[in-house]
Amino acid sequence: MTTTEIPAPARTAKTTPAKRPKRQREGAAWVFLSPWVLGAAVLTLLPMAVSLYLSFTDYDLFNPPQWVGLRNYTQMFTEDPRYWRSVVATLTYVVIAVPLQLGLALVVALALKSMRRGRAFYRSAFYAPSLLGASMSIALVWRAVFNDGGTVDNLLGTGGWVNKPGWALFAVALLTVWQFGAPMVIFLAGLQQIPSELYEAAAVDGASRWRQFLSITVPMLSPVIFFNLVLQTIQAFQVFTPAFAVSAGKGGPADSTLFYTLYLYDRGFVASHMGYASAMAWTLLLVIGAVTAVLFRTSRSWVFYASEGDR
Amino acid sequence: MPGNRTRKSWRSWPSRRARTPWPSRTTAATLALCAAAALTGCSDSGESSSAGGKAVLRYTWWGNPDRAARTQAAVDLFEKKHPDIDVQTSFSGYDAYKQKLATQAAGGDAPDVMQLDYRMIDQYASGGVLLDLAKQRSALSTADIDKGLLATGVVDDRQYAVPQARGTETIVYDTKQWKAAGVELPREGWTWNDWADAMRALAEKTGKPGGTDPGWSEDAFEVWLRGQGKSLYTKDGKLGFTADDLTRYWTFTDRLRREGAVSPAEETTQLDGTVENTPLGRGGRALSDNNWDAPSSGFLALVPTGVTLAPMPSGEDGTPGQYFKPSMFMGIADSSGHPEESARFIDFMLNDMDAAKILGATRGIPVNESIREKIAPELKDFDKTVADYQASVDGTLNSPPQAPPSGDSALQTTFQRDYDQVSFERMSPREAAEDYVTEAKAELRS
Repeated sequence: MTTTEIPAPARTAKTTPAKRPKRQREGAAWVFLSPWVLGAAVLTLLPMAVSLYLSFTDYDLFNPPQWVGLRNYTQMFTEDPRYWRSVVATLTYVVIAVPLQLGLALVVALALKSMRRGRAFYRSAFYAPSLLGASMSIALVWRAVFNDGGTVDNLLGTGGWVNKPGWALFAVALLTVWQFGAPMVIFLAGLQQIPSELYEAAAVDGASRWRQFLSITVPMLSPVIFFNLVLQTIQAFQVFTPAFAVSAGKGGPADSTLFYTLYLYDRGFVASHMGYASAMAWTLLLVIGAVTAVLFRTSRSWVFYASEGDR
Repeated sequence: MPGNRTRKSWRSWPSRRARTPWPSRTTAATLALCAAAALTGCSDSGESSSAGGKAVLRYTWWGNPDRAARTQAAVDLFEKKHPDIDVQTSFSGYDAYKQKLATQAAGGDAPDVMQLDYRMIDQYASGGVLLDLAKQRSALSTADIDKGLLATGVVDDRQYAVPQARGTETIVYDTKQWKAAGVELPREGWTWNDWADAMRALAEKTGKPGGTDPGWSEDAFEVWLRGQGKSLYTKDGKLGFTADDLTRYWTFTDRLRREGAVSPAEETTQLDGTVENTPLGRGGRALSDNNWDAPSSGFLALVPTGVTLAPMPSGEDGTPGQYFKPSMFMGIADSSGHPEESARFIDFMLNDMDAAKILGATRGIPVNESIREKIAPELKDFDKTVADYQASVDGTLNSPPQAPPSGDSALQTTFQRDYDQVSFERMSPREAAEDYVTEAKAELRS
């Protein structure tokens, strides 16, 4: 900052002295930001703009895109039963995986909070799957574990989950639930922020553990629960790697794990309908935006902020 | 993370950002410069080039490690014979290869020499990716290549690709177990009904499904269809069959599945063309499989007691459905900076005797007729099995159909998805067939 301010007096003659230094400071900021601004513009905004354009075209990668107006969108909503199957699979997955994952994260966080020794060790141990889980190799191991003749089949005699429609989705959801480490760490941080006086006062008044949980922990933690809920919901809508690997790239059996992103990938890169895939991507973006907006709206009635309590 | 802080930052963040003015002119200029630098940086790295006076060719293919080892040995020999050419190779599995190549081609960055599937020819040729090979006739000889097979690389009267080998489908079975079951062995000219009877008899005798459910496979359906004198596609690239045909086929396979004569839905849904995922390959969960002849070599490692290759069933009137399919094509990128060297490399892979000896039947039996005759006695192990099998059906088969239209590679996946709905009993064969035909028509129209 100081270096850019030095030449300022020499130039002030040209413009109003008050305005120039500030502009220059901002200019310097933009120069320092340029790698990221450039990255965002070239690698994110530009491709997004292109994909918005492509969503109104028929583009097969080989021939130039041809403008088709809204045809991709109308085809998607009215003529493609597999599209709706993928929507149903995705929604089912979101509704199953997100609450389970957050519930487990909260339970483990509560257990860790009351722990006196070895908390750091267990925190790391439970967090580890979050680091590993996104990788292809874990997803492949998952497929092997839940396949016929795999560990689960041998222990429970249930056959291969990944080859049964209705079961396969649970195998994928379990992989997500297993990665509860990230929300758990956030919950743990949130729990430690709750003033202990509240619990002490409640204990003096004779409130049970369960009563304390409902009346103190949940409301005080609600901003953190909300934060985790929004984040995990957005992520769940975009799930790709686990479903791709667990279903061996097909979203099977019988399209039961053909999640939205998987079908999008299938349309774009397997069937070479980039226009259609782009239209799907934009629809997904709008839907996630809408779902997030709804979550924010409902948050007014159940998320408690300490600052509001002061007012 | 106290709640009040979280809320404040959410509230104040957008408004502060809104006040920030757009960057000044100097900053914009700097950004533009950076952008320009980044773009030139990109375009430099993309071009195929010459290193130290050598022409550098990029050659990509799909296949397994065995094919990779033999291909690399052939490439090494080529480089020895042509010290001025350096060939850089890369390979992967078919699905990944197909997707990567399409993306490369769309970006104008197709490799100089590429291996292509029959299903890709039409799309790549009409999309302007491939070089008209007539331009390199002096470097690439096609004189010895089987005329019928050579014609499969022609699109719009131009030769865009040359097949490297030919393959045909087969019923591959566990020799020992089939014989032990006491069921009559497959013979030439057997029909689909004979096959179905054999599947039922095997299941009854052994308690295991007689074979893989062929309902998932568009390839098997094509054989069945051709046995009735029909085809997957018409000459002008339209659908060559009706929903009624497909309903009959799926009703036929679905009934066998319900009877336990062929593999259950949980097995069938795992099929992806690799022998490792077939019921026969997964520890003998069935006694037979239908597959392509060359890849069936993979069964040797999976079925220790040995396998035999039998012809595909014919139509009830004896019309053969299977055909010799050009199994892998080689083509040159229209954008290649070294078309002549590329042509010379293809010529070597197709017509050089030493190369043929190294490559064996890893891509199928060679299409070069003089080479096929000369190396036949030298083929060993499974290469010989495949060669003998092909010789046994040679001359009895009808000529191959022309290259499938562009939409076909997507439809292959659709076919399997729709049959999943049938075998898991979520749709009737009729419903699934109607679904498929609707989607196929949309796919072929675009």
